[in-house]
Amino acid sequence: MEKEIRKEEPRLMKGNEALAEAAIRANIDAYFGYPITPQSEVIEYLMLEVPKRKDKETVVLQAESEVASINMVYGAAGAGARVMTSSSSPGISLMQEGISYIASAQLPCLIVNVVRGGPGLGTIQPSQSDYFQATKGGGHGDYHLIVLAPSSVQELADFVFDAFKLAEKYRNPAMILADGALGQMMEKVVLPADNSFPKVAKPWATTGKTKDRERNIITSLFIQPEVMEKVNLELQEKYAAMQSEVRWEEFNTDDAEVLLVAFGLSARICQKVMDLGRAKGIKIGLLRPITLYPFPYKRIAELSEKVEFILDVEMNAGQMVEDVRLAVEGKIPVHFTGRMGGMILSPEEILHKIESIHESLTTANV
Amino acid sequence: MIRGSIKVDTKICKGCELCIIACPQDVLALSVNFNDKGYRYVELISSACTGCINCALVCPEAAITVYREPKPAKKTQAKV
Repeated sequence: MEKEIRKEEPRLMKGNEALAEAAIRANIDAYFGYPITPQSEVIEYLMLEVPKRKDKETVVLQAESEVASINMVYGAAGAGARVMTSSSSPGISLMQEGISYIASAQLPCLIVNVVRGGPGLGTIQPSQSDYFQATKGGGHGDYHLIVLAPSSVQELADFVFDAFKLAEKYRNPAMILADGALGQMMEKVVLPADNSFPKVAKPWATTGKTKDRERNIITSLFIQPEVMEKVNLELQEKYAAMQSEVRWEEFNTDDAEVLLVAFGLSARICQKVMDLGRAKGIKIGLLRPITLYPFPYKRIAELSEKVEFILDVEMNAGQMVEDVRLAVEGKIPVHFTGRMGGMILSPEEILHKIESIHESLTTANV
Repeated sequence: MIRGSIKVDTKICKGCELCIIACPQDVLALSVNFNDKGYRYVELISSACTGCINCALVCPEAAITVYREPKPAKKTQAKV
């Protein structure tokens, strides 16, 4: 985000509310959603705040279900609106059919997943167990979402803008993959400036036929397999182009002997692990993928040449670790540590794991 | 010892447990009951609260109100 638009005072805000406020400031045309803990504050905040902003023409609607909200998003996005929805894990599962349709019809929209522990109805505590669902498609067919993983309330607000920019650039649905703790967390945030994100032209939108062009058709149904394959090839071409948008953040990787790889809230915990470890003389570095799709395979491969081993830290049973292993290609050991079902790892737990791996490596060498 | 008590706005408590860590008297715990959002809210489990307001200060949701029993009036006043 450019510096000149950050003129505002920092505010103390809850993650969900910062996200909702950023959405208002991004001039969204519509929000369709259905409440579910831990992201209910998004719709609550929008319902309260939008009517107060006389300059905004945002529609905020509580649909009858998650299935209805994602199909409303599909319709609005087809008509060229800047539109978003938000939910938490079980709700996002309900939306998968609609998300696949939107990806096939190549429409930009934003889906926010404030992940809670699963599987099933699960728990309302934070988790990162929707990594596969978010990055590998989730619904049916060969498609991908652009996935951004914030690790602070500040990023939750900023990524609303970033996600819409990417979605509109590539005509592809984007997802913000947060978690229950980020959504509920109170933190300092400097909100992006209002009206700083102009609308883009969408000549493909179904806004009524004009004399100078053919009619626009938005569909995800292509009966002839030849046509369907052509659409698929187009999608794959788009995903290949998207790889240039990959983003990540690195800490102390110059002299690192141990590399931690973690996204979102886990990366925040790993920063503490890094400090604790360095105080003890263990050279720990951290790589935090910011975009989960596209994933920073190349950078992890480069770093795997320099470090002894990688420890992947996630609040799940080990999902991103598969992508890390793909990047490393077996050159060095990739270990995993994580907790599930809404439990959060403690820095001491992770450090202990690093020390025990270190120990087993040194005894193996003797 | 000054005696105190707290009132928790159970609707906005999110069960983050920061107050439980901050309480020097260890008189706070998560309830067995849930609020509308599904969070187990915090409650006072003993009468040993001193009204030190640590819990209210750390609460990110400002969900805790602390009450203190007024100090007993000084006896010297009665002599006049």
